[in-house]
Amino acid sequence: MFLAIREMKHAKTRYLLISLIMVLIAFLVLFVTGLAQGLSYANASSIQNMKADYLILQQDADHRLNRSMITEDTWKQIQQASSDQQGVELNPLSVKMTSISRVDDTKKIDATFFGIDPEGSLAPVIKEGRLMAAGADHEAVADKTFADKGLKLGDMIEDQASGQQYELVGFTEGQSYSHTPVILMSFKGLEATEAGRPATVGSAAYNAVALSGSKTIADQITNKVQGIEIVNKDTALKGIPGYQEEQGSLLMMIVFLFIIAAFVLAVFFYVITIQKMNQFGVLKAIGAKNSYLARSLVLQVLTLSLVCLAISILLTYGVAMVLPDSMPFQLNTSVVAGCAVLFIVVSLLGSLLSLFRVVKVDAIEAIGRAM
Amino acid sequence: MSTVMNRATDHLNKQIDNRENRAAKLAGARGSAANTKLLLQNISKVYGDGDTSVKVLDQISLEVKAGEFVAIVGPSGAGKSTFLSIAGALLSPTSGQIWIGDQEISQLPEKKLNQIRLDKIGFVFQSANLIPYLSVIDQLILIGELAGKSRKESHAKAVQLLRELGLGHRLKHYPDSLSGGERQRVSIARAWMNDPEIILADEPTASLDSERGRAVVEMLADEVKQRGKAAVMVTHDHRMLDLCDRIVYIEDGKLSEREM
Repeated sequence: MFLAIREMKHAKTRYLLISLIMVLIAFLVLFVTGLAQGLSYANASSIQNMKADYLILQQDADHRLNRSMITEDTWKQIQQASSDQQGVELNPLSVKMTSISRVDDTKKIDATFFGIDPEGSLAPVIKEGRLMAAGADHEAVADKTFADKGLKLGDMIEDQASGQQYELVGFTEGQSYSHTPVILMSFKGLEATEAGRPATVGSAAYNAVALSGSKTIADQITNKVQGIEIVNKDTALKGIPGYQEEQGSLLMMIVFLFIIAAFVLAVFFYVITIQKMNQFGVLKAIGAKNSYLARSLVLQVLTLSLVCLAISILLTYGVAMVLPDSMPFQLNTSVVAGCAVLFIVVSLLGSLLSLFRVVKVDAIEAIGRAM
Repeated sequence: MSTVMNRATDHLNKQIDNRENRAAKLAGARGSAANTKLLLQNISKVYGDGDTSVKVLDQISLEVKAGEFVAIVGPSGAGKSTFLSIAGALLSPTSGQIWIGDQEISQLPEKKLNQIRLDKIGFVFQSANLIPYLSVIDQLILIGELAGKSRKESHAKAVQLLRELGLGHRLKHYPDSLSGGERQRVSIARAWMNDPEIILADEPTASLDSERGRAVVEMLADEVKQRGKAAVMVTHDHRMLDLCDRIVYIEDGKLSEREM
């Protein structure tokens, strides 16, 4: 629009400076968001990528997978409770956090063992090698990060706690739990780590059951089976040790950045508006409507934030490209779009104060007053 | 210099003509509405209420006809600015009626007043009050923009007006690179841009030395005559009064007309 564009062209330095600040803030918002997402993925990709809608956990387990115990009895009840329904898939899951080392090496690596049914839908997508055989109790598939740590197909790994040895038969990717890479094996393989311990009555068979199905089915199972709790994947993510704390602090940073962005813009436009009070008086005296002046201001704010956003998005993707692979950074289009929309909304909110002042200016200011 | 001289002589001639016209009008069709550009009837303006109320304007009436250039003179605080604000549709009077052209405006809501200012009134403010980030040509085009006219039409009109006022070589300049007199001329050109019924000038010479001030007021007087419009100028500057057709004194909220 006529006034908005000409003013920005005329006062280039002033608008360039504020743009620079906005670019930096928007960049930081996007970068921290990417980092939060990347960390979340590195922390818990095994849950995020799990082919399930809900997780059935033991009641009072604080939504924590490794605290929850599902006994053989409960597992049977769960199966019965949903047997009359179509489109339900139940897959039990066992989790054990431990550390491992290569048999011929003493260096320990933290890892999480997942016991699964290799024929069920929790079976990982194999990137290299093959899936463990259904009956094999000493074969395992590991997350690809183990390959970066020097493990190869065919290597033997040893569980530090039990001394059990497994052969690496395949690599998968996107499998991590509580910042440790996951090693998947059959239930039989995982049970071997418990060998030698006294078996308690009704001991836990599994830690959780992954459920694919609708909300109604989940409700039905909750009603029929005692002592369980059904949570969606988001809640299960929060139950991973450290997940909520990590995401919470990053989220706080992002929220603060948005608030800072709003205030920086608000103050900038407010100061400029106050400087221009006399001009607004003149403009109103010569017949400019409030709506015209308001549109002009909103257009300036929009132009500024759109240009700054575009630059910072390019900048963020540019920086993401040169980041090392080990850096947990992940930014998908929908998150960027969400941030962008929020940023624009926040900018417009920041301009409200100035809009209010512009509307309040009385045209009579122009009369009887020198510049 | 010679052009200024010519203009001054021209102007004197016109002024004489005009007085004769006025005499003729006074004798003949007094109050013919078509010729009246600004009419104020029994205008009062009271600020505050109750015991603390201040009557700034007290039952004033004024008629300004096409081709007339009226000066309003008076001491500070006499109500000049209030008078101009009311005549300029910036302020509503407490009582009384105002006609601009053939429209009664004293009861209009603020939004309508905005439109009246845009369509019928041209303002020349103290110290020009140009928009600092608009070039000379854009100062004028802005008026067209506000009125929703096409950019091309506004541009042509702006160029023509600026050439008439001797600013043809300054079209792309910004206000800060113009002299005070040039700024005030741009301001006059801007006031003509919407083809108003009446020009209201608020001490247009306040920031100019007397020579430049005089040139500006002459220019304003010329334009009023040429276009058959009207102008009211509030001023402190008694040296400009000989350029006006009538002088109205304002004191304690009352108007009185004196012979020159």
